[in-house]
Amino acid sequence: MIAIYRQLLTAQLQSAAQYRVQFILWMLFAVIRPTIFLAAWVAVAVAQGGEVAGYTTRDFAGYYIALTLVAHLTTAWNSFEFEFEIRQGRLSPKLLRPLHPLHYAIVENIVWKGTTILPLLAVLGLLAATFDVRFATQPLHLVLFVPSMLLAIALSFMVGWVVACGAFWLQRVQTLNTLMQRTAFVFAGQIAPIALMPLPLQVVAWALPFAYILAVPTEILRGGVSVERAMVLIAGQAAWLAASCVLFTIVWRAGLRRYSAVGA
Amino acid sequence: MRRYWRMFRAFASTEFQFEMEYRLNFLFTLLEMLLVVGTSVGAVLVMFAHTTTLNGWTLPQMLVLLGVYYLVQGGTSLFFSPSFERLMEHIRLGTLDFQLLKPANTQFLVSFRHLRMVRIPDVILGLAVLVVGLVQVGAEVGPLDAVLFAIALLAGYALVYALLLSLVTLAFWFVRIENLLTIFWAFTEAGRFPVDLYPGWLRITLSTIVPIGIAVTAPSQAIAGRLDSVGVALLCAGALLAWWLASTFWRLGLRSYTGASA
Repeated sequence: MIAIYRQLLTAQLQSAAQYRVQFILWMLFAVIRPTIFLAAWVAVAVAQGGEVAGYTTRDFAGYYIALTLVAHLTTAWNSFEFEFEIRQGRLSPKLLRPLHPLHYAIVENIVWKGTTILPLLAVLGLLAATFDVRFATQPLHLVLFVPSMLLAIALSFMVGWVVACGAFWLQRVQTLNTLMQRTAFVFAGQIAPIALMPLPLQVVAWALPFAYILAVPTEILRGGVSVERAMVLIAGQAAWLAASCVLFTIVWRAGLRRYSAVGA
Repeated sequence: MRRYWRMFRAFASTEFQFEMEYRLNFLFTLLEMLLVVGTSVGAVLVMFAHTTTLNGWTLPQMLVLLGVYYLVQGGTSLFFSPSFERLMEHIRLGTLDFQLLKPANTQFLVSFRHLRMVRIPDVILGLAVLVVGLVQVGAEVGPLDAVLFAIALLAGYALVYALLLSLVTLAFWFVRIENLLTIFWAFTEAGRFPVDLYPGWLRITLSTIVPIGIAVTAPSQAIAGRLDSVGVALLCAGALLAWWLASTFWRLGLRSYTGASA
């Protein structure tokens, strides 16, 4: 298995090296939206005398810079491509290979995220200087951040795949994707830190998986939660990951049975 | 002028007929846009749960701004970008020859031949948000403000058009420039908040290099009573200048076009 992964990694690295401009463009998209909301929240904080519900302007900077990093690492794009693979029957040859298609996606993720992280950190550094960032991170937070981040990446990946499997039943997953993206836009902590949302929305946010993908690692990285609370949140992440894995296995099997392109 | 208006109507009607072959698709796009606009309004509401003004902008004024944002964004992807995307293909493949041979202004043909009717919901929803905002802003909006608003909006569209035309003209020399358009769309996102909100470098980018910030903020400022006639006059002058520069650049680019028979 390790040998297979090593080969796949090399192949993916070579193919990724062809698309350097795409890296820069992707980064622009990754940075611009959090920057916009950061600027807006800073304006809110300034209008309220420098602080909103315990968040100072510098805390907002810390939150959104951490969020950009987390969002980058948890991006899952497979659901966008999967629709084409199903509709055009390109899934068929992949199913004949001895490896589950999931593994190709995993390697693709590792390569893409690993190679883009350095330029992203440089841009985030610039942003940190512009907004005079402050992190309240303790060493223990950093220790907890690692498992939380890994769980978030896996969770986002699995949720993306569950949605992608919708393509087995629907001709047009794009609407489903938009639905998921906009739900995440509101409830993952992009438009606001969860603590700043109206109470009913907070309840919804903690009941959906999206906050466990973005908000949880972000708050841990910036040191915005106590260690005990961080542990609880990480447990929540693990629960959602387990649930999404089970769900994926179910929809994948059911979907493959429905899949009827040539060669299947 | 009337001839061009008739041509534009013919283009629009063919595109509409084409789009009506895919009615369900249209419906789904409408559904998606409802989600997008709804959540964007939600985001603004969450912010205003904590404050009454955002850098001097009140909630109704912000709704007006958001409406204008979707008007500009939707209008751009409805009217400008479909034709420009084809134009890039024409330049790359050499099929621009056929456009050049047609007995009408080439710049008009390559700018307005294609429309993406499926983006009409964006414009309608933008208008809806705009109207909701306007109703709440209420009596403070005088007839003069309304006129200034309309002029500023047109000038904004002109600025965006000029920028897109210049970008696409670059294709005469660099052939593949889809990435530049992607950068444009990335920056568009920032238009959802007033441009005066952003720190120095981003504000300058949004108001000069990618004038989307101006295109969205200026009309909304007219409603908020923060843009006087002098400001609008300056904006119009800027838009006309940008349009003229872009057209000149386009003609310059056209001269270095080498198709199959050109």
